[in-house]
Amino acid sequence: MMRLLAMIGAATLGGLATVGRMALFTASTFRHLVTQPFYGREFGQALFQIGFLSLPVVGLTALFTGGALALQIYSGGARFSAEAVVPQIVAIGMVRELGPVLVGLMIAARVTSSIAAEIATMKVTEQIDALVTLSTHPMKYLTVPRVLAATLVMPALVGVGDIIGILGGYIVGTERLGFNAASYLQNTVDFLEQRDIVSSLVKGAVFGFIAALMGCYYGMKAGRGASGVGAATKGAVVAAAVLILVANLILTEAFFSI
Amino acid sequence: MITISGLTKTFGNNAVLRGVDLHVDKGQSLVVIGGSGTGKSVLIKCIIGLITPDAGQIIIDGQDVTRSGHDNLLHRFGMLFQASALFDSLPVWENVCFRMLRSGQSRGDLRDLAAEKLRRVGLGPDVADKFPAELSGGMQKRVGLARAIAADPEIIFFDEPTAGLDPIMSGVINDLIREITTEMGATAITITHDMSSVHAIADQVAMIHDGVVQWHGNIGALDQTDDAHVRQFITGSATGPIPTLR
Repeated sequence: MMRLLAMIGAATLGGLATVGRMALFTASTFRHLVTQPFYGREFGQALFQIGFLSLPVVGLTALFTGGALALQIYSGGARFSAEAVVPQIVAIGMVRELGPVLVGLMIAARVTSSIAAEIATMKVTEQIDALVTLSTHPMKYLTVPRVLAATLVMPALVGVGDIIGILGGYIVGTERLGFNAASYLQNTVDFLEQRDIVSSLVKGAVFGFIAALMGCYYGMKAGRGASGVGAATKGAVVAAAVLILVANLILTEAFFSI
Repeated sequence: MITISGLTKTFGNNAVLRGVDLHVDKGQSLVVIGGSGTGKSVLIKCIIGLITPDAGQIIIDGQDVTRSGHDNLLHRFGMLFQASALFDSLPVWENVCFRMLRSGQSRGDLRDLAAEKLRRVGLGPDVADKFPAELSGGMQKRVGLARAIAADPEIIFFDEPTAGLDPIMSGVINDLIREITTEMGATAITITHDMSSVHAIADQVAMIHDGVVQWHGNIGALDQTDDAHVRQFITGSATGPIPTLR
C-alpha cells in the first residue's frame, strides 16, 4: 500500500515538475520574443516550412473529412427527416470544430515532430552549445522564430482547411447527394456567423503556438543519443496533441458557452 | 589570463569536479589530460559558461565570470567541438562566419572572409558552398577549426580535437592548431587523451584525476615526472593507481 502511494506521489511530483518546466519555458519564450535581436531569416524559413509546406496535408485532410462529414450528416439526418441540413452542419462542423482541430493535429504530427527531432539532434550533437559559444541565444535563434511563425501562419492554414473542408462537403453534396449547387453555397454562407470564423482562427493561432512550443521544449530537453531524439519527438507530439485537445475544449467553452 | 580556483561540480550523486585549481598565462597553450569521465569536458564547459559550477571561481582577465557571467566575454572565445558541431542546415561558409552574419557586413564580404579562413585550414574555396553532411570527418574538423578562429578570438578551446580521426589527419589537425594559436598569439585550452596531441600542442599540461588536478607542469617535465598517475596515463598501462573499471 505504501509502495503504491509512493508511486502515485512520485508520478504527481514528476507531472507537476514538467508543468512547471513548461511554464518557465513558455515565459522564457515570451521574454525573448520581445527583446532583440530578432532572427528574421530564421522566421521567414519557419513561415515557409510550417505554413506553405503544410498546405498539401492540410488540404487533403480537410477535403476528405468535409466529404465524409456530408455523407454522415445526410445518412444520420435521414433518421429524422433532416437531410436538408447537410450544408449548414458541414459548415458549422468544419469551421467551429473539425477544421481547427484536424489542422492542429496534422500540424502536431508534421511540424511538432520535425521541430523536436531537429532541435534534439542539434542538442545531442552539441550544436546548441556551439550557438551559445557563438554569442547566439538558442531560445532567440531556434524557439522564437518557430513559435511566432506557427502562431501567425496557423490561422491561415485553418482558414484554408475550413474552406477546403466545406468544398469537400459541397462536392459530395452536389455530386453524390443531389443538392443544388447554388442553394448549397447560399445555405453555407447564410448560416455561418462571424463568431464561428473568429473562433476558428483564434483556435488556429493557439494550436499553432502549442504545436511549435512543444516541439521546441522537448527538443531542448532531449536526452543523449538517438534514443533521446526519439523520446523527445514522441513526447512532443503526444504533449502537443493532448494540449491542443484540452485548449480546444477551453476555447469552445469560452466562445460558445450557453 | 585564466585562473580557476576551488571549482566544484556535482551531477546528482556524482561529484565530477571536487576542487580544481588551474592557471593559464596569456598566449600559453594548456592541455588537460585525464581518463574518460574524469571531468575534462565539464571543466572546459564551466570555463566557457555552458555549465554553471556549484562553487569556486573562474577569473578571466581579472573578471570573475562565476559572478558576472560570460555574455560580455563570448566574443573573445572560439571553440572547436569534439564532433565539430557544425550547423547542418547552413552551408560551410555561413558556419564559418556565423558570429558575423548579423554584424552588418555584406554577405559577399563574409563569404570572402570564410574562404580565407578555410584556406588557412587547408580547404579550397569550393568547400564554402557545401553542407557539413557532404564533408568527411577530417574536413568537418577543419571547418570547425576555421569557425573557431573566424573572429580572431583571444582564447580558443579545443575539445578532443583529434577524436575519431586517423593518425595522419590527427597530425594535420594538431599541426594546424599549434600554428594557428602561435600566429594568433591566442591562449588555448585543449582537452584530450591523445598523447600525440599533447606533445604537438602543449606548453603546459594538467592531468585531472578524481575531480582534482593531479599534476600540472611544463610539457618538458611531463615525460620526467614520477607521478604514478601520469606515468600510467602516458604509458597506457592497465596496472597502476588509476582504476581501469570506471
